Amino acid sequence: MDEIFRIHSTLGTFWWILLGVFFVIYIVLDGADLGAGVFSLLLNNENDRAAVMSSMAGTWDANETWLVVAGGVIFGAFPLVYGATFNYLMIPLMFALWGIISRAVAFEFHVHAKSSRKFWGFMFGFGSLIAALFAGIALGATLLGFPMATGNAQGIQVANDPFVNTVPHFSGNALSFLSAFSVWTGIGALIAGGLAGTLYLCARFEQNDPIYLKAHKAATLFSFLALAAVVITLIWSYAIMPDAAKWTGNSWFGWLILLIAILISAYKMMTNHAAHRDFSALLWCGAIVVFMWGGMWATNFPYIIPQTWTISAGANPANDLAILTLFMTGFVPVMITYNIYQIWVFRKRITHLAGYESH
Amino acid sequence: MIIEDTLPVLLSRLDFAWITSMHILWTPVTIGMSWLLFFLEIAWLRTGNEHWYRLQRFFEKLFIVNFGAGVATGVTMEMAFGILYGPFSQAVGPFFGNILGFETITAFMYEAGFIGLMIFGWGKIGKGMHAFATFNVALSSSLSAMWILVANGWMQSPTGIVLKNGLFQVTNWWQAIFNPNFNIGFPHMWIATVELSLFFFAAVSAWFILKNRHADLFTKLLKPTLLALIIITPLQIFIGDELGREVAQDQPTSLAAMEGHFHTYLPDGKPNTSWNLIAIPDVSAGKNLFSIQIPHVLSLLETHTWDGVVTGMDQFAPNDRPNVWVPFYSFRIMVAIGFFLFLMALWGNWLRLRGKLTAEHLRKNPLFLRLLVFSGFLPYLAVWTGWWTREIGRQPWVVYNLMRTWQGVSHMGVTAESFWLIGYIIFELMVWGGAWYFFTRVIQKGPDMNSPVIGSSDQDAHSSGGGMAKPAFAKPTMNKQH
Repeated sequence: MDEIFRIHSTLGTFWWILLGVFFVIYIVLDGADLGAGVFSLLLNNENDRAAVMSSMAGTWDANETWLVVAGGVIFGAFPLVYGATFNYLMIPLMFALWGIISRAVAFEFHVHAKSSRKFWGFMFGFGSLIAALFAGIALGATLLGFPMATGNAQGIQVANDPFVNTVPHFSGNALSFLSAFSVWTGIGALIAGGLAGTLYLCARFEQNDPIYLKAHKAATLFSFLALAAVVITLIWSYAIMPDAAKWTGNSWFGWLILLIAILISAYKMMTNHAAHRDFSALLWCGAIVVFMWGGMWATNFPYIIPQTWTISAGANPANDLAILTLFMTGFVPVMITYNIYQIWVFRKRITHLAGYESH
Repeated sequence: MIIEDTLPVLLSRLDFAWITSMHILWTPVTIGMSWLLFFLEIAWLRTGNEHWYRLQRFFEKLFIVNFGAGVATGVTMEMAFGILYGPFSQAVGPFFGNILGFETITAFMYEAGFIGLMIFGWGKIGKGMHAFATFNVALSSSLSAMWILVANGWMQSPTGIVLKNGLFQVTNWWQAIFNPNFNIGFPHMWIATVELSLFFFAAVSAWFILKNRHADLFTKLLKPTLLALIIITPLQIFIGDELGREVAQDQPTSLAAMEGHFHTYLPDGKPNTSWNLIAIPDVSAGKNLFSIQIPHVLSLLETHTWDGVVTGMDQFAPNDRPNVWVPFYSFRIMVAIGFFLFLMALWGNWLRLRGKLTAEHLRKNPLFLRLLVFSGFLPYLAVWTGWWTREIGRQPWVVYNLMRTWQGVSHMGVTAESFWLIGYIIFELMVWGGAWYFFTRVIQKGPDMNSPVIGSSDQDAHSSGGGMAKPAFAKPTMNKQH
């Protein structure tokens, strides 16, 4: 029996790490797309906006789908967490999804539109903004945890209901997600997205192109804003999150190294950016995301949702988790490979003239 | 009144029903048409006939308008299980969550990894690689449909699991995945996507022939399309009948609702074998207020015998009975459409046999073409009504006979539920209206017959950059045929 629990907890931890990886890939890839969308709101020319859209025409769908993969992995590996957390995040996820819908259809409609071209251009940018903002809010809300109870979720009481007093469900209200911290993480997500998006556009456009020049300036501004946002978030998290006490605990040395790694990456990103080594700057920006997300994941351990669900309590029962591992692990490198290939095919720099072409 | 019809639970059902109904508008074209586009592309590569290329590129434009809408509404579906049906997601998670996880990893992401290459890869990757990308999009979207039908089929006929500590834990993966409903339900749904896409082709072709624009080109497409339909349409009716018998066996309440079949036996003790053509059902009274009946047909349909007993609604407790109005009429609409589409396929091939399937002949007697354009819309209605029959017939259960719908509803109030419904009505109508508007725009513009065929010259670079980026390992000769 002990053996089973150990396997279960090992597999649970394995999927928890994999989930972290999927989230990082999603944030690095789609964060840039969403940020570029937010930046496109600052462009006055509709054709420039179209050029921003066509810069990601071949890859936005796959980038966004990493979110779906993360969602699918939560459902598959941590169904108890999935059912409770998504219920808690109803309102922010609803807005984020509306943003994603607007943005997704704007991609397909904008190229065919004539009189409604401005409208779909706006929906692309505004949808990106709403999606990033509410995804950030959802993240902050998740970090704060939520109340749970084991009664029927609708409060309906019937004798011998086999589904009560077993699995805890979310028991707060629709606005439980709302707090100063979650609103701040929403704003933080916008700033981080803006940075990633403008760095991405720098890497995608010819260096003498007007869009490149604008994006380059904006990226410099965003990098300072992002640095400030990171400092504020770290201090705030340390003040309110019980798990953050680890940072100054016994293994403070490890956390210090992580902090230094983040600062070095930030410095490298900014110098590469200033020297117009755009792709390197984008990669260093990705490194910051990896370090920060990894740090957050490690801070939360053994919780998957801080102070709410531990990895082992939220994981699928052992034999089901084993099946998931057996069948799906092999697909992960395959999935990453064809995504790299697709991104590589669309790697060439373009110009603002791309906005005049229909696909 | 059963709990499922009280306001908070009813609203959660409407919330989910709305996003499902709006999602299923897009997926059949993605699943079915991706195969048709692959065949067009292969036809072009094999014969070198430019018209297959022109048709492929034209329908691909419609495909991509549809695709964006499908993805956007699909991401919502993935999250909506947890948002609207949290306790359901938790209880079924060990099986259902795994299946959805399989779907995202082996299908959703797989499709996304190749769709960009398929749509925007023309001229950037070799022809062979491009056909491979199209094939992968087709295969992955069919896989996606398969996993979704595994999950939904299992909700209809839950096998291979045991309920322990409030969780459905799998005892036999084989039985759970290949559950009885899936085995027939998936072919039925998959064939529906192909049938819908073929009628999409046929309707667009008919419209162009009617307008006398590119009439010969579209007549060329119409011939193989109608030929495929003469196989697909009767096959679908046959599989549908099989599914009906499966439902009669595993979900008798649903079948009783579909057929408005209240009384198992007649007052004289003999089996009630009558099939209701139309009826005015009254569930609370447990009978039809009015009906037009044909004796023996129901027994013939469901048991394939003259006097076989078909379990009626009276065998079940009142709080286990589904609504009858919706399944009864939805089912009839779907069946009627199925037969009408079969007749259209017969008519078209009969015209062809008599040598009358040419643009001039068809325009002389435009009734066939007009009905064909009309037939383009019918499969959508059939898919809707079929899915409504399936989902409403299963009520009041969310997992048949094991978990009632109200037991799976999330912790949320009427305000939040209404907010969801109104918001999604606005956004999904925007998607629907936009997509169908841009369908008409693309169709009105017609196929592009002038721009050079991809790969016909070495100069594919665009003035805006980002042109030919040949992968090092793609055979360079691929781009230099002709």
